[in-house]
Amino acid sequence: MSTVWVIVAGLAFGLGAVLLVQAGNPGNYGFCAACHLRDIAGALGIHKTPVLQYARPEIMGWVIGAFVLSKTSGEFRPRGGSAPLIRFLLGALMMLGALVFLGCPLRALLRLSGGDLNGITALAGFLAGIGSGIIFLRNGFSLGRARAISGPIAFAGYLPVIFAAALAAAVAAGASFLYFSTKGPGSQHAPVLISLVAGLITGAIAMKTRMCLSGGFRDYFLVKDTSLLKIYGLLFVSATVANMFFGSFKLGFTGQPLAHTMHLWNFLGLYLVGVSATLLGGCPLRQLIMAADGNTDAAICVLGMLAGAGAAHTLNMAASGAGVPINGQLAVAAGIVVTFAIGWMFREKALVEATV
Amino acid sequence: MLETIRIITFPSVWHAFRAEKILKAAGIECTMIPVPRELSSSCQGLAAKIAAQALEQALTLLDEQQVQMEKRGVSVSKL
Repeated sequence: MSTVWVIVAGLAFGLGAVLLVQAGNPGNYGFCAACHLRDIAGALGIHKTPVLQYARPEIMGWVIGAFVLSKTSGEFRPRGGSAPLIRFLLGALMMLGALVFLGCPLRALLRLSGGDLNGITALAGFLAGIGSGIIFLRNGFSLGRARAISGPIAFAGYLPVIFAAALAAAVAAGASFLYFSTKGPGSQHAPVLISLVAGLITGAIAMKTRMCLSGGFRDYFLVKDTSLLKIYGLLFVSATVANMFFGSFKLGFTGQPLAHTMHLWNFLGLYLVGVSATLLGGCPLRQLIMAADGNTDAAICVLGMLAGAGAAHTLNMAASGAGVPINGQLAVAAGIVVTFAIGWMFREKALVEATV
Repeated sequence: MLETIRIITFPSVWHAFRAEKILKAAGIECTMIPVPRELSSSCQGLAAKIAAQALEQALTLLDEQQVQMEKRGVSVSKL
């Protein structure tokens, strides 16, 4: 990947995230593929937590921006059929883990850039999770090949962008069928147009660069390739500098926005995300981008994430500033066991025993 | 230089590592890399970078060992 795109992507995500907070988003909440989707689930009534309901246009922008670029560059390709139900389940578990930590891997990095040291615990868990996932990959894990979809059913590839566009229009119009938080984090947001434009730009960039934090670490661990990690390095540095500039950098574990200090669960929450993302072939951000460029399996994973957000909040599993409820602790433990079972069961059988 | 390099892609990491083992055991130079973005937008699997003159021998060997491949030796610009 060219250095120019590494710089563009790192700066756009790093500075964009801090600027979105300045424009009204909650602290260290400029971009988050998990929490923003959770808020969208709230806006759609999939969960009824009154303070977490807002159809965040950043996410719709990602999908639309990635779609437009993939379509214009000829990379849009409807495809699917690689173990959709397993991807749904892994998506739900990935969301569960993220909501126990309170952030996707991208937000973990953004939280750290705002001085929230819980990000370190979480990223350590994420790395450990990727390491575990890689063990399954090396032992033959695969969810099977996706196939190109052609003919009338290729229309399915367009559903994510159609849904995103409709939802963007609805939130811009303040549609009455959506839930809008009147207090709490869901009520704090940048103006719709700013959020949407920020999403469109970064979504196209994410499509162009294939950026993915789990993929970045996986490529590094497997073949020592650092091209994806460089983006996140610059993202972190630029967001940190911007946070210091705006006075939103506050070093410590406690008193951080939308965070808790239960270290074990911060670690295990993103551990679950790391394993799930490695088995899925992409972190939450990447799943949204792939869903936009025609990958219906990624779209199913996103649906799983929405369902997971609904379940996490309805069944009192999601964390809050007060910490992780016992349901969430049990669910993460069970989730880790389930991902291990999936990693073990879905191994390709060798057609012949390798002779070397 | 570019014309002498070919890329083989695999459907999963496991097949990629089997290929690496088989090729190295046969004394064929290869380097494992992430799948170049021009070849696949999927984030799974790895690719092997191999010299063009060794391609035919490599493909024969990998077929014999039933390693699954997707792209069987394409050249990629900007690599």
